[in-house]
Amino acid sequence: MFAYIIRRVLATVPVMAIVALLVFSLLYIAPGDPATIIAGDQASPADIEHIRVSLGLDRPFLVRFGSWVWDVVHGDLGKSIFTNLPVTHMIAQRIEPTVSLMLITLVLSLALAIPLGVVAAWKQGSWIDRFAMVLSTAGFSVPVFVIGYVLAYVFGLTLEWVPVQGYTPISEGIWPWFQNLIMPSIALGLIYMALIARITRATMLEVLSQDYVRTARAKGVGQRGILFVHALKNAAVPIITIIGIGFAALIGGAVVTESVFAIPGLGRLTVDAILRRDYPVIQGVVLMFSFVYVLVNLGVDLLYTLFDPRIRY
Amino acid sequence: MLASLRHGSFWQPLGGSNIMKRRTFLGSTAALGATLAAPRISFAQSSRVLRFVPQANLSSLDAVAGTQYVVRNAAVMIWETLYGVDSNFVPHPQMAEGHTVNADFTDWTFKLREGLTWHDGEKVTSRDVVASISRWMVRDTMGQRMKASLDAFETPDDRTVRIRLNKPFPKMLFAIGKSNAPVCLIMPERIAKTDPFQLIKEYVGSGPMKFNAAEWVPGSKAIFEKFGAYQPRAEKADWLSGGKVMNFDRIEWMIIPDAATAGAALQNGEVDWWENPISDLVPLLRKSAKLNVDIGDPLGNIGSLRINHLHPPFNDPRARRAVLMALSQTDYMQAVVGDDTNLWKTCPSFFTPGTALYTEEGGEILKGKRDYEGAKKLLKEAGYNGEKIRLIVATDVGITKAEGDVTADMLAKIGMNVDYVATDWGTTGTIRAKKDAPSAGGWNIFHTWHAGADCINPAPYTALDAGGDKAWFGWPKSDAVQKGIADWYAAPDLAAEKKAAVDINKASFDNVTYGPTGFFLQYTSWNKNVSGVVKSPFPVFWGVSKS
Repeated sequence: MFAYIIRRVLATVPVMAIVALLVFSLLYIAPGDPATIIAGDQASPADIEHIRVSLGLDRPFLVRFGSWVWDVVHGDLGKSIFTNLPVTHMIAQRIEPTVSLMLITLVLSLALAIPLGVVAAWKQGSWIDRFAMVLSTAGFSVPVFVIGYVLAYVFGLTLEWVPVQGYTPISEGIWPWFQNLIMPSIALGLIYMALIARITRATMLEVLSQDYVRTARAKGVGQRGILFVHALKNAAVPIITIIGIGFAALIGGAVVTESVFAIPGLGRLTVDAILRRDYPVIQGVVLMFSFVYVLVNLGVDLLYTLFDPRIRY
Repeated sequence: MLASLRHGSFWQPLGGSNIMKRRTFLGSTAALGATLAAPRISFAQSSRVLRFVPQANLSSLDAVAGTQYVVRNAAVMIWETLYGVDSNFVPHPQMAEGHTVNADFTDWTFKLREGLTWHDGEKVTSRDVVASISRWMVRDTMGQRMKASLDAFETPDDRTVRIRLNKPFPKMLFAIGKSNAPVCLIMPERIAKTDPFQLIKEYVGSGPMKFNAAEWVPGSKAIFEKFGAYQPRAEKADWLSGGKVMNFDRIEWMIIPDAATAGAALQNGEVDWWENPISDLVPLLRKSAKLNVDIGDPLGNIGSLRINHLHPPFNDPRARRAVLMALSQTDYMQAVVGDDTNLWKTCPSFFTPGTALYTEEGGEILKGKRDYEGAKKLLKEAGYNGEKIRLIVATDVGITKAEGDVTADMLAKIGMNVDYVATDWGTTGTIRAKKDAPSAGGWNIFHTWHAGADCINPAPYTALDAGGDKAWFGWPKSDAVQKGIADWYAAPDLAAEKKAAVDINKASFDNVTYGPTGFFLQYTSWNKNVSGVVKSPFPVFWGVSKS
């Protein structure tokens, strides 16, 4: 197992290298550059060209890529072209809001979606099942920003229960922190919830029709015991897989959610950097996201062994 | 509820002995409801803190190297100018005590007022002034004219700067006191020595507010703190001039990219002032008893249909005039700001309505019924025979998207074959710099707009220049326009300036330097507990207070 973990961690290196090359190449061929944005609309073409040269954007692709990779392997993601702040500092500033948002979203989604999926499978065809499926279809169909606006209007603007935007660090109190994140988490989590609820229901339906469930019933095990001790554990592997895959969707959704609720997280940092063509920041954030994604998948693979002892690495 | 969670009664596995009990669940839910329902959130903030939503993200603070308005708006809190314009564009001494000048405007001497210090406690000296003007001169149009005739800077003492020129430069005070970027901001010598084409890396000024770099989260918030050692002038504040009395200890710029969220935050009292609400949300803001809504910048903006003069068919002035014959400013303005006629008017001029140089002479082509048939005829005379017109539209910016859609429709009406290239503003910025033929990745038309404050006279008005290869994008060339601009620079009085403006306007329409698509204004909105908000091309924070 330990050797497997080491192998997987080492495997992230070529993955990251490919991601780095892809990101750098895409940015290189994408139109637009930061010089135009720094100069502003009134700048002359000559001014913009001067700025391009001073930023080193006129250098050949390989020179720029080589210099960036050299810095990265030395632990330096570079500095923002606009703010002159180190990219690592900018990422560090934004990690807490994004991690908080993801954490609350994960907890909410799992806490609601798994029981919903289990109950829907148990009561297949009943109103609960139909309700669960309508809810999950709605989760898939309604865009995050629509849910966000509706929540902000009802709970923020009309009822004034929670702020409509912003973020309070956890160091300033758990309740203010939670107040700022509850609406964004619901908005972001709905699609995730829908995904998990549907897969839980489908897998549970399959498992509940297995022979050992019938045997358990014959032995007199109660319904709850069958559902949550025997069936859910055996249905866990596909559910965990979906949780891992859905993490990517969560990252994508965080970009929109953070914009709608003005949360200063990594999603907004990415969008702002892309709009300004702040290359070092874009490259740094994408590298970090891909690293996290690889780690999440590794975590998922390891969790398989917990739920299914037959799986060995 | 937290207690119930800790003790496991809120949620337990159904199969275990601790099952979820209906009453426990309902009790917990009720507790949650009570927790949420009981206190309404109080967003009351200190009257010493102002929370402001700027028009865009503040990505840098260098209003010399860059010309973004949002950067200028922040920079003028941190740094000051030797002279500063008032709301009539008259320059008044600001960091300077005053000046002396010889009869032919070639020998200027400025003396710094006493007690000026940088935010780090160092004294402001004449060496700082020379370094700052030297950097600004490289980037600014007026500065470049000044530089071209500069003999020498002299610093006889720590508070005196002498500027010797070999040609008269009567517009000196306006040049160093104007609010248009690049602004002639005075910075410490070590900062001002930064390459003028690179952004500064340190934000130490002498203005009424200090920048708190430690709390800066680019894209989210920027914090300005009151500079305790700042000595406001005795005169009443008026735009960049006078006593800049700060009634806040902190001004917090909250970057809220989503307009609906910014509107909700303002209505909820989470922020105090929103610089540029989009016109769609203005009716909603007006309904709120807690908010004021008014025109923010009385100088507004002039919409622009920018034509590439280098390639057919628009290398022929007749083709450019054909476009103006069909151009309906009413259509453009309705598309850009809607039906609220307080927000726009037609503007058959290259200059800002309501300002001294505004003239409609030469603008007849934009007046009256639009002549599509005449335009078609003129296009034919210009030799247009159905080539694709590459129209670059930045669809991520509401104004350019609206303008682009109207243009596509108008060009189709006069029989032009439109290639509508929908893209983002960043890409537009790159494409418009290309001089290649449209078929090789270049362009024929793109849209933008110019702040009215930039169009009050030829000095800050880059888009008016018709110097050919060195002109702004589109590279218009007209000796008549250039002569008019030179006449304006040399004009000794307002009458001569006005005459030059008429000549420029006529020549610009004749040449179709670009197509003005109309004049439009934008609202600003602030909480009623905030007072002292004035109309200005940039948000003026001095004199504003909060109860």
